[in-house]
Amino acid sequence: MGAGLAACALYVLYLDRMVVRQFEGRRWTLPAQVYAAPLELYAGLPLTQPALEHELQRLHYRRVALPDRPGTYRLQGDRLDVALRAAHFADEQRDALLLTITTGAGGVQDLRDSQGHELPVIRFEPLLIGSIFPIHGEDRIVVKPDEVPPLLPAALKAVEDRKFDTHHGIDPEGILRAMWVNARAGQIEQGASTLTQQLVRSYFLSSRQTLSRKLREAIMAMALDAHFSKADLMNAYINEIFLGQDGSRAIHGFGLASQFYFGKPLSELDLPEVALLVAVVRGPSYYDPRRHPDRALARRNLVLKILADQGVVPAADASAAARAPLGVGARPSGAYYPAYLDFVRRTLRRDYPDAALTEAGLSIYTSLEPRVQEQAESALERELAQLDRARRHPNAHLEGAVVVTAPHSGDVLAVVGGRDVGYDGFDRALDARRSMGSLVKPFIYLTALESGRYTAATVVQDQPIDVKLVNGTHWRPENFTRQTYGPVPVVRALSESLNLATVGVGLDLGVPKVAQTLERFGLTETPALVPAMLLGAVAVTPMEAAQLFNGLANGGFHTPLRAVRAVVSADGKTLKAFPMHVTQVAAPDVVYELDRMLVHVMDHGTGRPAQALLPPNLVVAGKSGTSSDYRDSWFAGFSGSDLAVVWVGYDDDAPTGFTGSAGALPVWAHIMAGLATNSWNAPMPESLAEIEIEYPTGLRVLPGCSDDRVAVAVPAGAQIPAKPGCGFPSAVTPVGKLLDRAQQWIKSLVH
Amino acid sequence: MSPTKPGTPGRGRLLLPAATVAATLAACAAPAPFPSPPPGAPAPQGGAPNAPGYPPPATPAPAPPPEQPGAPPPRQFHMGAAATALVSQAQNQARAGNYGQASVTLERALRIEPDNPLVWIEYGRVELGAGDAAQADGMGRKALQLATGDPSAQAAAWHLIADSLRARGNNELAAEAEQHAASFSTR
Repeated sequence: MGAGLAACALYVLYLDRMVVRQFEGRRWTLPAQVYAAPLELYAGLPLTQPALEHELQRLHYRRVALPDRPGTYRLQGDRLDVALRAAHFADEQRDALLLTITTGAGGVQDLRDSQGHELPVIRFEPLLIGSIFPIHGEDRIVVKPDEVPPLLPAALKAVEDRKFDTHHGIDPEGILRAMWVNARAGQIEQGASTLTQQLVRSYFLSSRQTLSRKLREAIMAMALDAHFSKADLMNAYINEIFLGQDGSRAIHGFGLASQFYFGKPLSELDLPEVALLVAVVRGPSYYDPRRHPDRALARRNLVLKILADQGVVPAADASAAARAPLGVGARPSGAYYPAYLDFVRRTLRRDYPDAALTEAGLSIYTSLEPRVQEQAESALERELAQLDRARRHPNAHLEGAVVVTAPHSGDVLAVVGGRDVGYDGFDRALDARRSMGSLVKPFIYLTALESGRYTAATVVQDQPIDVKLVNGTHWRPENFTRQTYGPVPVVRALSESLNLATVGVGLDLGVPKVAQTLERFGLTETPALVPAMLLGAVAVTPMEAAQLFNGLANGGFHTPLRAVRAVVSADGKTLKAFPMHVTQVAAPDVVYELDRMLVHVMDHGTGRPAQALLPPNLVVAGKSGTSSDYRDSWFAGFSGSDLAVVWVGYDDDAPTGFTGSAGALPVWAHIMAGLATNSWNAPMPESLAEIEIEYPTGLRVLPGCSDDRVAVAVPAGAQIPAKPGCGFPSAVTPVGKLLDRAQQWIKSLVH
Repeated sequence: MSPTKPGTPGRGRLLLPAATVAATLAACAAPAPFPSPPPGAPAPQGGAPNAPGYPPPATPAPAPPPEQPGAPPPRQFHMGAAATALVSQAQNQARAGNYGQASVTLERALRIEPDNPLVWIEYGRVELGAGDAAQADGMGRKALQLATGDPSAQAAAWHLIADSLRARGNNELAAEAEQHAASFSTR
């Protein structure tokens, strides 16, 4: 008996020590929070008032009559008054402030603070796009007591634990009362556990329901209560408790729950929203407001009734709140971009161990632009559904992937890893390695221009080719049309993606030379140096294809693609920056000459179907890609400010029947059309001259000489044969600089 | 499409007024000065017909005559108010020895005016100050690619390249780069 008591006392003492030690040293594991790029505002930004309002709504700002609380705004004519939240960025912390944005038809005209001072540039806060939590792990955002609306602890006490302020960790009276109330109501209206017991259960114990565990829980709750203040325990409860499940991610604490259900900080929640979270405490799965809105609504209104009955809020407020909708978005709030997060994780895993990412409370600032990401997702989903209908393959679903970049910086603006954009699984943008097909052709012609032996106007032969391979077999490539086209200018061979003409040029240059060009532009593995490489027998992921074309879009400058701009520690120090790196990998004039030809892909060649989908004056450049047997449909192209690569195909590598122009191109065009992007208009280098040639023949012409002309850039002084009877002094006239072109033009007018 | 179109700001989508584009393109006889984008006067070229709330495409600028007489008028880049403010903030950060923050700030400026060689030159100057001469060289060459037609920006880009070469002990090539710079300064 005595020994039993002594053992019991020792056990209590052991639990007491354990609880105190663990709770004092407590540090919640804090998954890294990942943020999108913030929207920069400045006079001249072409976003109209409705577009700006859309941006504010994405950040869950509320429209009000008087914007006096952060997270609210007001519209007054062409004025938009915004109470901006305090925010942290990769490079600075900013306090909350009142901002007045004046807009006109063309966009932002003027930005001022509350004192009327003009602001040259200011940012909205970055959108939280996710967190890096352990597999099957807890995700949370820790809040400090001053970030908690006073209503929340009051409501928790009223609903869960009325004696919280006075009991000693357990509440025998409360247990009896709860039994009585619940019996009378015929449902669980009150729990028997104190908040302290719930905290112990969540923090220290497994969820097994045994009597000995109940006893342990009670002893530990009393121990906690004896050693820590009520305020400390309440704050721990608010940050600890489980409030929802999102796939493998467990939503812990009210800070994250507020973001997860409402997309805004806890401090901005109103009465009905606080009441809903308090309602969810009782059963995050049973009262899941997304899956069981009716149950959640009934339980929330019960919470409101209790709050009114207990005098926590006026009865009139409670009944007004009971009429409010749940206010929970259809899908997890903020945003969920698994393919982009996958890219972020892979970037960071090179530098950080898993534990640093899932526990240390890092902030990760990325280049993701939500507007671009949403456009890319919806274009891919919509167009693949359309293409599936056209294929009439009832059981086969086309798949696709998209990467969008800002060429000048290598910023990756959007990544879509498949048509089910919310699915965190196989990420085709990063992992689907597929033959690049005709996407290789621009790099063959770039190599040709660099050799000095070819220009855009050089006539090449599109004729049958027979290569005897080392194993004794013969390689006899064909054009997609199975026809041959004879003598054609380079610009036409590229625009129409003629295989035979291109292979001829590639063999003339040498396969290794072309491979070197690809490697300069960022191909990491040397491809097999076989003639079939000239038709794109090089496996690349959509991300790698984007890297290669980014150099063409950026005037011959390589910038490594990057998703992460900076990693900032929990105490606000920049731990690692990922600054842009710019390396020149090709001369600007050859790249310009090539890019001008890629513009003709869009008006004369395989990119032509995009014209109907793009704004009429938008100048873009691009290239289709189709691998053998139509297994892969690619399109890679760029405007002056955005590059997009689209891949469409089947996961099992089955033929799709689509060329790049039929499969990937419409997706690409819908993305570009929705971006409000700028025309491609790189400045023409001074070493080049612009001339017009006849598209079918490549002969130099003047206006009025031919109905089918294209303007190409060629090295000044290049000898381009002229079309007879076209007003040129001789059959071969060197291309002059702009001035002597002008004289010729005037002469042609006088004739 | 004409190679004589004005330099464009990109991601930030700060754009030339359509009227200026039209006037510049139509200016055959008397070349108008080639302005860099002034702030506060946007005129989107691309447009987004199916993105509600985004500005509609600008009214089509008249197509340039296919063979346009007259040399392209010289242009002169300027930075808008936003880029100017950010560049001066970055210069202060660099002066305080905070090169990491300075490059973050300069990247903000570049996102607003990615096609403005002056911003690239400022970035290259900061990289040079931070001791990364190779990056400064890359930025100088990028600036040079964009500066076509603006002799003073071309000269400034060559100066940056020359300084970055000198910083790496490549005095011979640096002298060559200075000669390029001088050839633009005297134009």
